[in-house]
Amino acid sequence: MQRRIILFLCMFAFCLPGLAFGDDLESRIRAMEETLNRQQKTIEEQQKIIKEMQEQIKQGSVAEKQGPGEKQPIAPVAVAPPPEQKPGEDQKAGKVTGLFGGSAMSNPNISLVLNTFAFGSNQTSDQLQNQGIPGYTTTGLGLKNGFNGDAEISLFAPVDPYFNLYATIPISFNGEVELEEAYFVTTALPQGHQLKGGKFRSGFSRFNAQHEHAWDFTDTSLPYRAFLGEEGLIEPGAQYTYILPLPFYTLFGAEILQGQNPTLFGEDAANGPHAFTGYLKTSFDLSDYSTMLLGVSVVGGKTQTDTVQPNSLFTGNSVLYDLEMYYKWKPSKYQSFSLQSEYMLRNQYGNLQDLGLDTPSYLERTQDGFYVQGVYQWDRWRFGARYDALSIFTDTYNLAGQQQNFGPRPWRATAMVDWNLSEFTRIRLQYIYDMTSGTGTTDNQVFLQLIFGIGAHAAHSF
Amino acid sequence: MKKTILTLIALFLWFTPAAAKLNVVATLPWIGSVTEAIGKDRINVTVLVKPSQDPHLIEAKPSMILASRNADLLIYNGLDLEIGYLPLLIESSRNPKIQPGHPGNLDCSQFIDVIERHQAVDRSMGDVHPLGNPHYHMSPTNMARIVRGITQTLSELDPANSAFYASNLKSFEDRLKEKQKQWSLIPVRGKRFVAYHKYFEYMAKEFGFELIGYVEEKPGIPPSAGYLERLVESMKRTKPDGILVTPYYGTREVEALSRMTGVKTIIVPHDVGSVPGATDWFSLMDSALQALK
Repeated sequence: MQRRIILFLCMFAFCLPGLAFGDDLESRIRAMEETLNRQQKTIEEQQKIIKEMQEQIKQGSVAEKQGPGEKQPIAPVAVAPPPEQKPGEDQKAGKVTGLFGGSAMSNPNISLVLNTFAFGSNQTSDQLQNQGIPGYTTTGLGLKNGFNGDAEISLFAPVDPYFNLYATIPISFNGEVELEEAYFVTTALPQGHQLKGGKFRSGFSRFNAQHEHAWDFTDTSLPYRAFLGEEGLIEPGAQYTYILPLPFYTLFGAEILQGQNPTLFGEDAANGPHAFTGYLKTSFDLSDYSTMLLGVSVVGGKTQTDTVQPNSLFTGNSVLYDLEMYYKWKPSKYQSFSLQSEYMLRNQYGNLQDLGLDTPSYLERTQDGFYVQGVYQWDRWRFGARYDALSIFTDTYNLAGQQQNFGPRPWRATAMVDWNLSEFTRIRLQYIYDMTSGTGTTDNQVFLQLIFGIGAHAAHSF
Repeated sequence: MKKTILTLIALFLWFTPAAAKLNVVATLPWIGSVTEAIGKDRINVTVLVKPSQDPHLIEAKPSMILASRNADLLIYNGLDLEIGYLPLLIESSRNPKIQPGHPGNLDCSQFIDVIERHQAVDRSMGDVHPLGNPHYHMSPTNMARIVRGITQTLSELDPANSAFYASNLKSFEDRLKEKQKQWSLIPVRGKRFVAYHKYFEYMAKEFGFELIGYVEEKPGIPPSAGYLERLVESMKRTKPDGILVTPYYGTREVEALSRMTGVKTIIVPHDVGSVPGATDWFSLMDSALQALK
């Protein structure tokens, strides 16, 4: 009996929770089913992701899990995680690098160059603005004693299979924004031919097409300042160039330009484009490590400018000739030497209207100038020297039949040293002994310059 | 007058290639060498970079622009190794055939599995190649694929000679198989090296040696004194089998390091023509692996 009661009690005890669970069981099974379904879904999703990742790995587009911090361990002898072997069976996986590297289509390549320098000279602020080079130009250096500079934004990218597009927008420390260059270049014309259009640095001469931050010295040379102005020949227009089918490099170029250059032409000199250039450049390698480049250029057109003499307006015609020579020896990345020289000759004739007088006088001036500069590079250091002068072989300044005299020949001597911490940082110290005032007084000029570049990797032009 | 015109015509004909041979421009010596192995006398190969030049720092010389102007095919390393001059060269070539997207523009890196791709890099880390390590040519696996790709492109551009190219590919591949057997016998597996630049990663992966440190603190930037001090200390501790350096760059630094640590300097030829024995890609690999032994 006792056993029965115990058994009964046991059964009751057993059934009690069972009874209580009765309803619950069903809901639990349902819950389990739901969980299973959810897990099934998760597994399916994960499989999908795995499949996608496998695809990506095949295409090689999965970036390695190695963070940049681990890449170059600070403790140098840390074992780098072994890079994963990725199965790649496809021969052409279709990851072709674009013309400028990378594959960004949503953005053009962008770079920013900060060019800043501290400048000191014997000239006053007024002289720096207006002193000019007597007999050549009334435009001063345009610098300030103290801090100068600008930040230059560059954008470039292929437009489509037929054109590349470039724009350069410098913003001065005063906040002046300028569209220095904006042009297209063709890439699909028949072998050897190319067109360029928009606003661009003319291919006239050697130095002209170089951007300021790529110059070997902080400033431009005397003949450029005297005949083309500080900025050089940057014009709206169209350019045609052709590499001749010859066994050595020979480039022919011709341009039609608007003629806005304030020193040589002037915006209002004529209705429509009124400046034309032509040039021929040739180059050959003297050895595996040395190259010579020679060129002859001419630019001519109608002129109307107020930069000939103070308070006057000149109206007439101008032609400027240029001979260029560039030699470079570069046996290794540790050292190189370059020698560059140009000779320029300008002929100008027309009427000089003194703004105080009624009758204009006939002016003809034939003047020349040249510079020679050498730069020696040793590892991350570069040392440069430059000599530039005007009125070398001829200095005709004939106003109303009278040869004018503007004092002793303008010339300068420059020394430069720069230190390149990387490809993107340059620190430069430059000194100029300047004899261009026309009065025989010396001006000492010192520049301490810093150039930084960030963003897209700009190509090194030769 | 008549004579002058005739001379001019003759000159013009002389400089206009006789239409038959494909003009190939290769940026690096090894590319020129393997392309020549496939094209032999049916192609003209011009190599732009000398083995003694640092491939990272080349200028687009006018002679290089001229060669590119006349090219039917431009073959390059890719992964931004040539970023400093190739974009300018391609644009200045005024040659539609070698523009990106055309069959005459061949980027060899498309055939290989790139290692050391970086998701987030900036230039404070030195001259890092964000697209991945571009020094991939000292790997037989990569080379087998690249040579296939080059053969495919040559046949596409010059179908008349495709059988010739295919048979040259066959002999290249046979030789590669033969050579791989020889190379597998050279005892480099398991060795541990310190290297000057990240030049040997693909080779290490393939031949089973390890690179446990670098002399360059950051790629392309000379190491600081403090970094070198730490490197010397850890090398004294870990005792690697050698310091690897290419024949032209960093040998001075590596030799100094060698004196300080007692670890031997190993000069590894990095490209065809960089040492007298390395006359083609096979002999380049021979001498590189012998050096590591």
